[in-house]
Amino acid sequence: MTSRETILARLRAARRPFADTPPPGDYLPVAPVDDERPAALVEHFAARAEALNCTVYRCTDERAALAAILDVIGADRQVLCWDFAHIPLPGLGAALARAGVAVAPPSDPSVRVGITGADAALAATGSLVIASGPGKPRQVSLLPLVHVAVVRADQIVPHLEAWLATVRARGLDAFQAASSTVIISGPSRTADIAMELILGMHGPGELHIVVLEDTSA
Amino acid sequence: MRSQAAKFVAAARRALADPPLQDAVKRATDTAARKRDLAMFAHGRDHGEALRQQAAAARRRALSRLPELLEQAEAHLTANGATVLWAADAAEVCAHVLDIAARHHVRRVTKSKSMVSEEVGLNDALAEAGIEVLETDLGEYIIQLAGEPPSHIVTPVIHKSKEAIRDLFVQRLGMPPTDDAPTMARFARGHLRAAFLSSDMGISGGNFIIAETGTLCLVTNEGNGRMVTALPRVHVALVGIEKVVATLEEYVLLTQVLPRSATGQAMAVYTHMINGPRRAGEPDGPEALYVVLVDNGRSAIYGTSYAEVLGCIRCGACINACPIYEATGGHAYGWVYPGPIGAVLTPLLTDLKDASALPHASSLCGKCKEVCPVDIDLPRMLLDLRYDLVEAGHMPWLWDAGMRAWSTATRSPRLFHSAARAAQIGQGLLPQGRKVPLGPLGGWSASRELPRFARQSFRAWWAARNQEEDRHDQS
Ligand code: SF4
Repeated sequence: MTSRETILARLRAARRPFADTPPPGDYLPVAPVDDERPAALVEHFAARAEALNCTVYRCTDERAALAAILDVIGADRQVLCWDFAHIPLPGLGAALARAGVAVAPPSDPSVRVGITGADAALAATGSLVIASGPGKPRQVSLLPLVHVAVVRADQIVPHLEAWLATVRARGLDAFQAASSTVIISGPSRTADIAMELILGMHGPGELHIVVLEDTSA
Repeated sequence: MRSQAAKFVAAARRALADPPLQDAVKRATDTAARKRDLAMFAHGRDHGEALRQQAAAARRRALSRLPELLEQAEAHLTANGATVLWAADAAEVCAHVLDIAARHHVRRVTKSKSMVSEEVGLNDALAEAGIEVLETDLGEYIIQLAGEPPSHIVTPVIHKSKEAIRDLFVQRLGMPPTDDAPTMARFARGHLRAAFLSSDMGISGGNFIIAETGTLCLVTNEGNGRMVTALPRVHVALVGIEKVVATLEEYVLLTQVLPRSATGQAMAVYTHMINGPRRAGEPDGPEALYVVLVDNGRSAIYGTSYAEVLGCIRCGACINACPIYEATGGHAYGWVYPGPIGAVLTPLLTDLKDASALPHASSLCGKCKEVCPVDIDLPRMLLDLRYDLVEAGHMPWLWDAGMRAWSTATRSPRLFHSAARAAQIGQGLLPQGRKVPLGPLGGWSASRELPRFARQSFRAWWAARNQEEDRHDQS
C-alpha cells in the first residue's frame, strides 16, 4: 500500500470525531463594519490602513494622484511597475515618462519603489487584495522597500467576508485562475528582536495607498 | 527532531534558575496575551466568544470529514497544477523533499517557518545531502545561527534578548556592533535577500488547505513566506493532514481568528492564497509546486479521544497564557511544540512514556482552553494523558509530590480525575493556608477564577518534588 492509501484507510477505519457538528449557518463577520455606505467605507479603510502604518492619499482627481506618486518616487530614475492597464490611473505611463522615470524589469532587486493596482480593498482591516496574473508580477509589491498601490474607492468592500461574496459571484474559476492572491495589511514587519516592532523586514517597509475617489463622475 | 521531553525535569530546573530568561519570556507572553484579548474582543466579549465557537465548529466539521476533504483537496490541488505527495512519517517527508531537490537540481534552499519541518528534522536531512538550507523568518534565522531549536511556535526567539542577538550577529555575520534593533533587522534583511534571489527551492509550511478550491494558504508578517513562494524555481509546502478546511467561508473565518489569537493583529501582513505554480503568461512565481501532506502520527490520533487536538491552528495563544511556560520557557518541553499544546501533542506524536513529564507540566488552571480560538479542551486531555500513564503502569508524579493520600483513587478513572483535580487545587492552595471547597468540580471552577494560583501550585509541586529527589540523591 502506498502512504496515501495507508493514511486514508486509517482515517476511514477510525471512529469519526465530531460527527454531530451542525452544518454552518450564517457566518458572523469577524470584523463587522457599522456603516457600509461608500463614503464611510473609504473613511474606514483609510483610518485602518493608517493605523497599520500605511500612508493614504485620498485624491479626487488624477492630477493629485500622479503628484502623490511622483513625490514618493522623488529623485529615483527607475521604478518597478505593473502593466499600466492594471493600474486605474490612465495618465500614469505618460507622467512617468515626462518625469524621466523608467520601468525596470520586475526582478531588478535594486529598485526602491514598486507601483501596483489592487483587485479589491477591505475597509475593516485596511487591507489590499492583490492577485497575480499576466502584467501583474508579484515581485512589484514584494521586492522594493516602498510599495505604492492605486485603488479606486469603489473597489473598497467592507471586509473579507464581503470580498468572498464577490469571489463567489464571479465564480471560483476566476479565483483559481490567479496562482497567487495575497491580502496585504500594512508594511512587512517583525517583532522577533525583543518584541520590538520593526517595519520592512523582508517586504516593503513603506506602503503608500492612493485612493481615487469619484474620478469617473 | 529528536524529542528531549524525557529531560523535562532537568531542563525545567535549569530554566527556573535563570531569572533573565523568565523575565524575557514573561514580558513577551504578557504582551502577546494582552494584545490577543484586545483583538479577540475588539467588537465586544460576546462577539469574540461567538467567533471562538464559530471557529471551533469550522475545525470540527473539517475533522469529521477529514478523509473526504483530503481527497477533494488533492483533486483540486492537482487540477490547479500542483503535485501532491503523501508522507506517512518523518523519513518519508525527508525522502520526498530530497527527491524533488534531485529532480530539479537544487543546490540552495530558502525556508519560511514550518513546524512540520522541525518535527521531521528536515534541515539536517538536507544538509547531509549537501544542500544548503537557510531559514528566513528572522526568528528562525537567529536560532539557526545559534544552533538552537525554537522555543515558541509563533515567536521562536522569545527566549533571546536583544543583546544576545546582537552578539550573535556580530560574531557570526560580522555585523558592526549596534544596539538598534531596526539596524540589526536591516542587516539580516540584506543577508537574506541575497539568499532568496539565489535559491533554487523554497520550502514553506501551510496554515490551511481549502478543499473546494485546492488552495494552499499561508500567513506571514515579514514577507519571507511570499519570497520563498515567488522567487525560487520550485516551491515545496509541508502541510499536516489535519490542516484541510472545507470551504472558502471556513477559511476566511479561520484566517482572521488566527492572527487575532497569535499576535493580536486583525490580519497578518500577508494572508496568502496559492492556487498552483506560475500560470502561462504570468511573469513570476515558481515553475513547480509540490504539496506534501504529512501524517507523522496524526492519523493515529484521529480515532481517539484526543482527536480534537488536530483542530489546533497553531496560534500559540495557549502558550502565551500558560504559567508553566512562563516559568520554564519553551526549550524545557524538549520537542517542537512547547506549552500546553506541546504538553498534549508531544506525548501523542512521539512517545507517551518518554514524554511522561509533560502532562504534569500544567497546573490545570484552564487558561489555555479559555484563550484557544478553536476551544480545544487541553486541560481535559492533559488529565486523560495522566490517566493513560497510570494505565500503562507509570507512577503519576502527583504521588512524588507528596500526594500519596490520593493514590488509592487512581485505579478508577473517574476517581482519578477527581483526585487529580482536587490534588492539583490542594497543592496550589495549601501552602498559603487558604481554603476552598475541595469538591472536585467546585474547587476546579474556583481555581479558574484565580489564575495566579496556577504558578504557585506548580512551584509547590516543584519544591516538593525536588525535596523528594534530594532525599533520593542522598540515600
Ligand atoms: S491549542 Fe488552541 S490556543 Fe493552543 S496553539 Fe492550538 S489553536 Fe492556539
